[in-house]
Order: sequence, then structure tokens, then C-alpha cells
Amino acid sequence: MTNTLTIERTSANADAPKPATRRRKPNDRAPWEEPPTPVGQAAKGLTLGVVLLIMVVPLWIVVVTSLSTQAAVTRAGGLVIWPDGITFEAYKVMLEDVTVRNALLVSLGITAVGTLVSMAVSIMCAYGLSRSRSFAHRFLLTLLIVTMFVNGGLIPTFLVVTGLGGYGAWWSLILPSAISVFNILVLRAFYSSTSTDLIEAARIDGAGDWRILWSIVMPTSRAVTAVIALFYGVGYWNAFFNVMLYMPTDSEKWPLQYVLLTYVNRGNGMPGSINSGFGTAFSQTAPLSLQMAVVVLTLVPLLIVYPFVQKHFRTGVLTGAIKG
Amino acid sequence: MGNELNRRSFLNAAVSAAGLVAMGPLLSACGGGGAQRAGVNSEAGLKAALPAYVPNTSIQPDIPSVAGGPDALTNPGFLKYPANRIATVSGVPGKGGKYSTVTPLWGTIPPADNSFYQAMNSALGVELQMKPADGNNYNTIIPTMTAAKRLPDWIQLPTWWNSQFNTGGLAGTQLADLTPYLSGDNVKKYPNLAAIPTAAWRTGVWGDKLYGIPSFSSGFQVAGIIYYRRDIFEAKGISPDQVKSADDLMSLGKELTDAKNGVWAFDDVYRYIYTAFGAPLKWKVDNGKLVHLYETEEFYAALDWNHRLATAGYVHPDALAGDNANGNTRFYGGKTLISSGGTGAWNLSDAQSGAAANPNYRRGAFNIFAADGKSAPRIDMGAGSSLMSYLNVNLKPEQIEELLSVANYLAAPFGSAEYTMINYGVEGQHFTMVNGEPTHTDAGKKEVQAQTYPFLATPASAVSSPGNPQVTRDYTDWQAANVKALAKPVFWNMNISMPQAQATADAAQSVEDTMKDCIHGKKKVSDVRDAVAAWKTSGGGDKLIQWTTENVLEKHGTGQ
Amino acid sequence: MTLPAVVLLLVFNYAPLFGLITAFQEYDPLVGVWNSPLAGFDQFERLFGDPLFWGAVRNTLYLSFVQLILFFPIPIALALLLNSVLSQRIRNFIQSVVYLPHFFSWVLAITIFQQMLGGAGALNHFLRNNDIGTWDIMTNPDTFALLVTAQVIWKEAGWGIIVFLAALAAINTDLYEAAAADGAGPWRRLWHITLPGLRGVIVLLLVLRLGNALSVGFEQFLIQRNAVGHDAADVLDTFSFYYGIATGDYSYGAAAGLFKSVISLLLIWGANKLAHAFGEDGLYRK
Repeated sequence: MTNTLTIERTSANADAPKPATRRRKPNDRAPWEEPPTPVGQAAKGLTLGVVLLIMVVPLWIVVVTSLSTQAAVTRAGGLVIWPDGITFEAYKVMLEDVTVRNALLVSLGITAVGTLVSMAVSIMCAYGLSRSRSFAHRFLLTLLIVTMFVNGGLIPTFLVVTGLGGYGAWWSLILPSAISVFNILVLRAFYSSTSTDLIEAARIDGAGDWRILWSIVMPTSRAVTAVIALFYGVGYWNAFFNVMLYMPTDSEKWPLQYVLLTYVNRGNGMPGSINSGFGTAFSQTAPLSLQMAVVVLTLVPLLIVYPFVQKHFRTGVLTGAIKG
Repeated sequence: MGNELNRRSFLNAAVSAAGLVAMGPLLSACGGGGAQRAGVNSEAGLKAALPAYVPNTSIQPDIPSVAGGPDALTNPGFLKYPANRIATVSGVPGKGGKYSTVTPLWGTIPPADNSFYQAMNSALGVELQMKPADGNNYNTIIPTMTAAKRLPDWIQLPTWWNSQFNTGGLAGTQLADLTPYLSGDNVKKYPNLAAIPTAAWRTGVWGDKLYGIPSFSSGFQVAGIIYYRRDIFEAKGISPDQVKSADDLMSLGKELTDAKNGVWAFDDVYRYIYTAFGAPLKWKVDNGKLVHLYETEEFYAALDWNHRLATAGYVHPDALAGDNANGNTRFYGGKTLISSGGTGAWNLSDAQSGAAANPNYRRGAFNIFAADGKSAPRIDMGAGSSLMSYLNVNLKPEQIEELLSVANYLAAPFGSAEYTMINYGVEGQHFTMVNGEPTHTDAGKKEVQAQTYPFLATPASAVSSPGNPQVTRDYTDWQAANVKALAKPVFWNMNISMPQAQATADAAQSVEDTMKDCIHGKKKVSDVRDAVAAWKTSGGGDKLIQWTTENVLEKHGTGQ
Repeated sequence: MTLPAVVLLLVFNYAPLFGLITAFQEYDPLVGVWNSPLAGFDQFERLFGDPLFWGAVRNTLYLSFVQLILFFPIPIALALLLNSVLSQRIRNFIQSVVYLPHFFSWVLAITIFQQMLGGAGALNHFLRNNDIGTWDIMTNPDTFALLVTAQVIWKEAGWGIIVFLAALAAINTDLYEAAAADGAGPWRRLWHITLPGLRGVIVLLLVLRLGNALSVGFEQFLIQRNAVGHDAADVLDTFSFYYGIATGDYSYGAAAGLFKSVISLLLIWGANKLAHAFGEDGLYRK
């Protein structure tokens, strides 16, 4: 056995079994798979078709409403199903706003930094806990799991964060929510199933934990890494609650979701009951089209990012082997 | 698994609705001491604390105010923007001080440090750092500030959140006492503040001392009224005057509902109609004895009427499904023809939104009526102002005086040079005159339109609807026709703060829940009676009535 | 390696636990956590004597059960179905659409349901105009559990499949090839290779789901509470909100919250034991 540790990459159905250079048609079957029966094919198609329809129709409604004029929205009495007066006004209003552009940068920064921090901490933690003989792992797991069910509440958390100087500080948007125990447990479940013999072998070869994590565990669990990164990234991208707590009046520090929230919330939350003297500028709730445009804008980055995550579902897995 | 993955979004989204009320106890940390807890203003104390009232006559409205009973007054109306925008403040009010402010904003936050803010700073002679916060989450934001001891120098605390903010507890501990500067004739140093009617100042008095400066005050404050689609009523030849009783209104339900075509006569109206049945807002005094709303037969009569309205199928199904957010859209779209809401709904942007769907759109409101058709119509008055701003307790006396001078500038009357500056900015830069009406330029729309300064101080409200004077006429006409019906409810404007147990009983969540089910047609009136019986004994209801009798009624009277 | 995570949890999750004291107090915001009078177990006594509380517990458990039966298997089935689609283009397209509803707020999701199935919605409009009579699903307390589960399926099933897709991708394809060579058909391969490959994740999620039996969501119920009435829609979280926080009765809400925490910990401990009894790893190896 040599000291070199190499991992052979084979891949799943896409280009199995030989690492052929020939590009296969995407719907090619692996040679060992049976041809599908027509009935099975039809049933499958029908099920997926219905699922797709149920998912797509609401998306359609949201997009159409975001493109509708106020008149069309009113005529429809709410969300618009059939296009009836199209305008890009809602998008124009938002995209022309300088605050929105600044907020976009803030959001990208927080999401990038936050995801990196969360992933680093979570991967280390999950790996540490996945080795069943590691130090006090039962106790530490319990420590983690308890936080999923018990919390001191918003107010005490707020007092702790501000006590540490978090009021108005960037870290208050990242550190208090950096850990999702759920994500760590999922990572750990995948790491635990990474073939132990591979790790044992590496250990005999003198590889330390960092080396094993980096060159065996991580490469063999790329799909789950991508998924958890997606979970964290989405969390940071959508987060606005901490903004509200820790930097409520620093509008130049607000991320996109919070700025968009102010669009949606126009005029909401003001008890109409007593505002008899209010000026006209804010007595009107946001047009529905604007609210839907906000929804669309929040979906766009996901549509851009998701294919990169998805890639890891199909490019296959590492069947790791140690040559030597 | 959805729930697992959802944990984060739960924290982000749901809590925004919920958590926020949870922030109330934050105040605890900074301790207000329990001293003010059960505070109620006394009649004598109020007299000593309240500023004198010196009306401003420099700008005459097109439609003058009409007085009703004590403290009841219609809003003046302006059909055109006053042509000569006279100045009411000479010189620059400030002395170069630098102050932070926090105000709620229900809209798009203007860019920080913009040209309008700069122009305002030079007009005011102070450097006011405007820090608007999202209004929808304001009730989360403020308690965090008080907990972190970061109250700005000048802050807006809307009165509908008084209990959550614990404004009474903050008064004196974190908020400055303005009594020495404004009480009685002291206010005459600030003539525009002196022109704000006394009833509005009352809302800013805590423990017999004056703390708050009112914005958007009005002598015509009511919880809400019953609206109808005037254009459609007229087209159908229905006169709103034929509605003189609850039965008349009910019969419109049958006449107007056309479910097949997606039209229902009513949206939710309970909240603003129950007092028409003779039920008190919350309390009434009967032969010297304090009686709670839930103890009155009129309350059950109102529930019964609303229950029948719902079960008869006259109420829009979305309203019965608890969807209030789209109530306006239903009304604009003609899917409901009778709705209810605050008087704030009756304005220019409402007319514009309605006209977008139907060019004939016109809002009307039924005159206040008594359900039996015989009693004298009456509607309860709300607090004199729903928006109050406060100064920080740490300010030095000369700083307080400087800010009060700024407030005096901000309270300049409708149509004055100062008012124009605050609401429209600099002519040529932020607005231009179009057909005699100031109209925002693009810069004005971005920087001025989202109002920030008015949440610190404004003159008493005036009605105007530039470019569409009909709205102003309709609304002021209705006010004039109904101002006589305005009456003060028991404990009007008394700023009562009560101990926790009583506050819980006062909220009466279990009764309110059952009541909602009843008016949506899902439970019977007798179920509400059962809930009330339980509330009285195990829910602290009887104790609440006793506490209020002993600590408010017997000590301080009815406030009427 | 666990150190950074543990430090973060200690600071941001464990330090704030002092807030739990309020459950044993007559907590008064004005006086503060440290000075409020102690009430011992008074709040819990009140809680356990409150029929509304038990109603909320019952609703929560019932909804949890319905969701476990009707919702939990769906993402797994969808993931398997999707995995069996050979055309990568179709697969990618479906994948990138079905998870999107997860990002809709509950307000929007329910508005869409109302507009489709509500009393004035598309379906009932059609029924009414054809004199078939109306179908009241959005405001019917009796079928509320099915309604909310349908909403959860619509909103979360697509998002839920992501973890399973990752698990499917981790299954060694050599195994399939070997099984096929041995003459195992597609169903046998599903049973003997695919499902065992997913088992770890499924058991983990199932254990967590059982531990979370007292959490069925919050906003979804908050929004629809007026539509079906509080008898049907109150779950533990909305109960704490309406009868604790919203009315300023903080200690009462805190007591309900602590009750939930304790029961949840017991449940997850039990679920984990159960997993071990079936020879599974659960949250940690036995």
C-alpha cells in the first residue's frame, strides 16, 4: 500500500459504465436497465404532468399579476389569472430605486459570507460528530438537539446579542443564525455512511482528521454539501428578521428582502380605524402587482442558483477506491 | 419534513407577525419602575398640564370647520391649494443643534442624506438625522431600541401601540416632560403648536404631565364608518337615506347580493356597526354602576344581526374566510357594495384606485343611524390624535426648546410656506405648480413623497384632494352632516394603564374568538354568552370590572 | 472540530435560556425578568385547567398525525419517481419548478387557495353558475386538517425532495448494475438497493418529525383562524400567541412554550429509542 491516496471517479447513469468520451443522448438508459412498459410510462407521465400543473398554475398567476395594471387587478378582484392589461410598471418602480441596488449588494455579501461561515462550522461539526468514537459525541449531539426544541425566546436572545455589541453590527445578521442543527444532522447522517474502511485505510496511512475530511469525506458527499449550502444560502438570502432587530433604522445596511418588504408593506399595519388625518402618500396599500413582482424577484436568484446545485445530483458519485 | 426545513422560514416570516408583540417585555430590562403602572390622568391634573388653544386664522379654508358637541369638530376642507403660501415662522427656528429622529414609514424609504433632507436642515437651522423605520415592523423595532437604550432624541410612538411600547412607563423615565414648556400660556411661544386643539394634546398626557406632541390630529376621530358604492347605488336608484335602521340595511343585502355574478352586498361590517345597536364602545355607566360591553343586551343584538347577515349569504365569502387584506380590492371591483373602515380611507388615492377599475367610482358613507331607527344616532369619539412624538429625557432644557421651535415650524398650517416645504420640498427642484396644485417632480417623488417630518409634528388635519375636489366635498359634507352624532365614550382619552391580570382580562381573547365565529355564522349568539360567562368568572372579567370601578371610575370619573 | 459550533450554540442558544424563568413568574414587563414575583407552578396549573389549551394540544397532535401519514411519504415518492425519469432535460425542468412554492409566503399560498377553492373562487363560481351547489372547503372546520395538509403538500413537497435526491445521488450505481446482472427487476432493485440507500435519511427525518409532533406550523393557522374558527385552527403555537403574547399574558405563553419544549424532548428521545429498537441509528448510534 502506498502513501498516495487517489480517488477514482465513476459516474452514475449519465455516462456509465465506461468513462466514454462520446456524448450520449440524455435519455439513454444504462445498458442494464429494462425498457419501460407503456403502461408504466403513461402512469409516470400522467402523475408528473398533474404535479407539474398544480405547481405551475400558481406561478403563472403570480407572474401574470405582477405584470398587470391596477385596473386589471381590480377587475379580477385580486390575483389575475388571464392577462388583461400588461405593464412592467411594478418592476420599473423597484429596479429604478437606488436603495434596491445597494440592498442587492448587501444581500449578496451577507449570503456569501454567511453561507461560508455556516458551511465551515457545520461541516466541521458534522464530521466531528460522525466519528462515533470522537470526544463526548453523544453529549454534544444532545446539546445540539436540545436547541431545536428549547429556546429562551426572542427577547433574551436580543439582549444577549446587543450585550455583545451586536446592535448595528454586521455579524448580528450572521452569527446568531449561523447554525441549523437540522442541517448538521443531515450532513452527519451522510458522513456516517461514508465507507468506514476507506477512512480506516486512510488513517492507517497516517492521514489526520482534516486530511480525511478534505480528501475523502467531502469529495464523496458533494450532493449533500450542495444541498446544505443551498439551505443555508436560501436562509441568508431570505432573512430579514435580524435586520429588523439589530439595524432597523440603518437603511443603507438593509438587505434586499427587507427593502422589498417595505414595498409590500406600504400602508399595511396602519390601523385605518384612526388615521383620519393621514396624508394620501401612505394611506394606500401596495398594489398587488408590486407585491407579486417582489415575489418574482425573490424567485429569480433561486432559478439562477438551483441548476448549480442540481448538477451535483447527476454528475455521479465517487465510488472511492484506494489504489496501491 | 416540511416543518424541519421550515424552521428557518418560520423564524423569519411567522415571527414577524407574532414575535413582535412579544417584544413588549423588552422594556423590562431598562426598567421603568412600577411607579406609573396604574396611572390615569385626573381632571385637575389635565387642566394644569394642557396647553392653551389659540386657533390660527392666517389661512382660511374653503370649507370651514363645523363644531359638534364638546371637542367635536369637522376637518376644514381645501378645494384648491392656497395661492399665496404665507410664512408663519419668521427666521430660522434652530440654533445649529444636531439631533437624531426615528419615525415609522409605511412605504419606500427615501435615500439617506438626500437633497430634500439637506434643504429641510437649512430651513430648520438644525441638523435632523432622519431615520425612518419600516412602519409595519415598528412595534418590534421600538421595544428593541428601548431595551438597547438607544432611543433617539425625537421619536414617534403611535398611540395604538401604547400598551406594547408601554408609553406610560417610558414617560418620565426615557421621555422628556414637556409640561414646563407647553402647559397653559407657555405654548404661546410656539403659535403653530398652540393652534392644535386641546383634545389632541390630552392623548400625550401621562400621569398628569404632558409628554407627547400630536401629529395628524382631528376633531373628528371615530373608529370607523359604513361605506357604500355611491356610483352603483345611484345607478340602481337606491338612496342611502332610506337606510334608517339595521333592518333597512339588512334588506339591502337581499336586494344587492348577486352571487352568480360574484357580487355580495356586504364585506365585514361588525366592528363599526355594533355601537349603532346602542352597545357602548367598551364601558358604560348605568345609574352610577360601571357596565362592560359584554354585559349589555345591545351587544348580543348586534351579534345576532351580524350572524343573520352572514348566514343569509349577504357577506362576501372571502370576508367570511377572514381575508381582510383584499377588502379594498373587492370594494373597488364592485364585488362588495357595502363595507366598513376608518375615515382615513376616504381620500384622493382611494378615488384614484377606484377609478382605475371603474371610471364612475365614488365612495359614500351612510349617515350614522341607530339600529332601532328611533333612538338618536350616536358614534363614539376616538382619541384626539393617533400619532404622538416624544423627546428624549436626556436632552438639556435649551435643546428641548430648540426642538419645540422646530416642531412649531413643522406644525405650520395647511398651505403655508412651511407646510409646502415640508410636504412638497423646494419649488422647481422637488415640485412644480400644475393647475394651481403643487405636484412632485421625479426627485420629489423619490425624496419628499414618503412623508417623514410629519410624523414629528403636523398642524391639525385638513381635507384636500388636489385635482379632484369632489372627494373633499363628499367627505366634508358627510362630516358636517354627522358631527352632531359624535359623543365621548366613557373614559375618553384617559390613558389608563392597568396591571397585567386586568390587561389580560381586558383583551378577553376567548370571547373575541367566539364572537368572530359568531359573526361569521359559525357559532350561535348563545355560544358567545357562554364564553362571556366563563370570562367573567375564570377569565378575570368580574375582577376587571371591579378594578376599573375602584381605580378609574370612582377616583377619576368618566372623562366625558 | 465541533468547537466553533458548540461555542455559537452556547452563546446564542443557551445563554438566552434565562428567559425561561418567566414561565415560573407573574412576569411584569415593567419590573423585568429579575424582579418579577415568582409564581411557582401557578401558570402551569392554570394551563392544565384550561380547556382551550387542551383543545390546542388535541388539534396539534391530530394535524401532526394527518401530516405524518399524508405528507411525509410524498417527497420520498416524488423523489423516486423523478429519479426514474430518464430524460435529463425533463427531470431538470420538473425539479427546478416543483420546489418554487416553498418560497411563497403563507399569505400568498392561502390567497391562491382561496381564489381557487374559496366561496367566491374559480371552482365555486363554476359550480354556482351550473347550479350544482357550492363546495365549502376553505371555511369548513371539519375538513380543515385535510385542507392544511393539502396546502403543506403543495408548498413543501417539492422542496422536501431535495434531500432525498442528494441521498439518491449517493447510492453507488455499481450496485444497480450488479443487481441487474443477477437478474433483479426494477422493483426488486428499488426495494433492495434504493430504499436501503435512503433509509438513514428517512429514519433521521422521521425521528425529527416525531420530536416535532407539537409543531405543525404557525402562520398557516394564524391566517386561517378566522376562516374556520379557533376551535379547529388553534394549535399550540397559535395558542401561546393569542392567549400569551397577544394579550400581554407573557408568563402564560412562556409556560405553554416550556410545556411544548419538554414534551418535544421526551418525544424525540422516545422516537430515537424506537429507532434503536428497530435496529436503526436514529439520531445517533446506539
